[in-house]
Amino acid sequence: MDASVTAAAPVTDPAGIRRAMDYYAERGWTDGLPVVPVTESYLAEFLATTDRDPGSVLLAMPHLNRQCTVRLAAINAALAGCRPGYFPVVLAAWDSLAAEGYPGRGIWQSTTGTAPLLIVNGPVRAAIGLNSRGNVFGSGFRANATIGRAIRLGAINAFGLRPHELDQATQGTPAKYTCCIAENEEESPWPPLHADFGLGRAESAVTAMVIRSCVHIEARHTTAAEQLAADIAGTVARTGALIHQTISACIVLSPEHARVLDRAGWGKPDLQRYLYDHATATRDELAAAGKEAISRHTRWRLPSDHPDAIPDDCADAGSPGLIRVLNSPDAILVVVAGASNAGVSAVVETFGPRGGPPPVTRVAAGNQR
Amino acid sequence: MSICTDAFVVPAQAMARVHGFPGYEFATVPHPIASLDPDQIRGLATGVVPDVLRILGAES
Repeated sequence: MDASVTAAAPVTDPAGIRRAMDYYAERGWTDGLPVVPVTESYLAEFLATTDRDPGSVLLAMPHLNRQCTVRLAAINAALAGCRPGYFPVVLAAWDSLAAEGYPGRGIWQSTTGTAPLLIVNGPVRAAIGLNSRGNVFGSGFRANATIGRAIRLGAINAFGLRPHELDQATQGTPAKYTCCIAENEEESPWPPLHADFGLGRAESAVTAMVIRSCVHIEARHTTAAEQLAADIAGTVARTGALIHQTISACIVLSPEHARVLDRAGWGKPDLQRYLYDHATATRDELAAAGKEAISRHTRWRLPSDHPDAIPDDCADAGSPGLIRVLNSPDAILVVVAGASNAGVSAVVETFGPRGGPPPVTRVAAGNQR
Repeated sequence: MSICTDAFVVPAQAMARVHGFPGYEFATVPHPIASLDPDQIRGLATGVVPDVLRILGAES
């Protein structure tokens, strides 16, 4: 930013803006970063993008006696810095989170420290400038940054999930600020996520997940599908992620990696099946981490000499003592995102349903600007 | 009544406020419990009994 840019900025009262930011921060209405001041007239611009009643409930947390309504979602989208035209995507994100189910049951308060991941498909990506290419999990794009942040601010302000209070995260994750990506449909060799689950390519959708970690895969060296898949399987199977018997994951492949698999004739179901068969751990590996059994009460992993221990019921992966960390191929979702510039992908470790269709939620046609 | 480890007193009090019981009293034990062995758990349980009885009004 240079002086000429600053001089061209709209004339306003900087002290007044700072006072407004301080006002919001002092009331605990922020994630720590400054928010955009919201007036009734500005809020009306968001509400004008939807036909839904401002009082209708998007997500409820019965254990807190609290709900996020359309109006509260709009206020927090505005606070987050969304443009009004992003609001139909924000609404679809809340609908998807409600359909996913875990947030309504308190997972956002857990010590694990999860965050929502939003994956956006369809024409709305281009319409509002969502990034699906380079630095897709990083910063630099208003739509990605603020749509994800709209959910976080809703968690804070509609549900009161503030750290050190109702949010008990031991460490949390950077994704708690924002985590919204678009699928790179244009450089994917396969149908996009929303088309896999019955929507048309011309429709737009948001699919929400509950995540903790986003672990990267460095595999620039290979053009062999099985080598790449084995590298991914080794990450999916890491013992550190195993709090329960099994895990689930969303594999976010770079276009380069997707093409490696596609050239070998693999589709998404082939990668899912491979990972189901090869994301495995030996009993000895689990025992070394004290995770070879599960609790009869919580079904969390623990050592076999624990008084509550019972054997897990993980499927045998073809040889004695080798167990699967996935309970079905459907515990893996596959999307394509990122730049076409390196063999780098990510395993996003998800919480929630392990199998069954993900909550792919249509974005209503709105006034997207 | 509820027993929690001292690491969860603040969120527990926040939950009590949410449900309209700002003065709700919790019995607390030292954190952690998840990694303790049975004898250590027994020790914590024994140690918290007087507090449990007091909160329940059963001490007298």
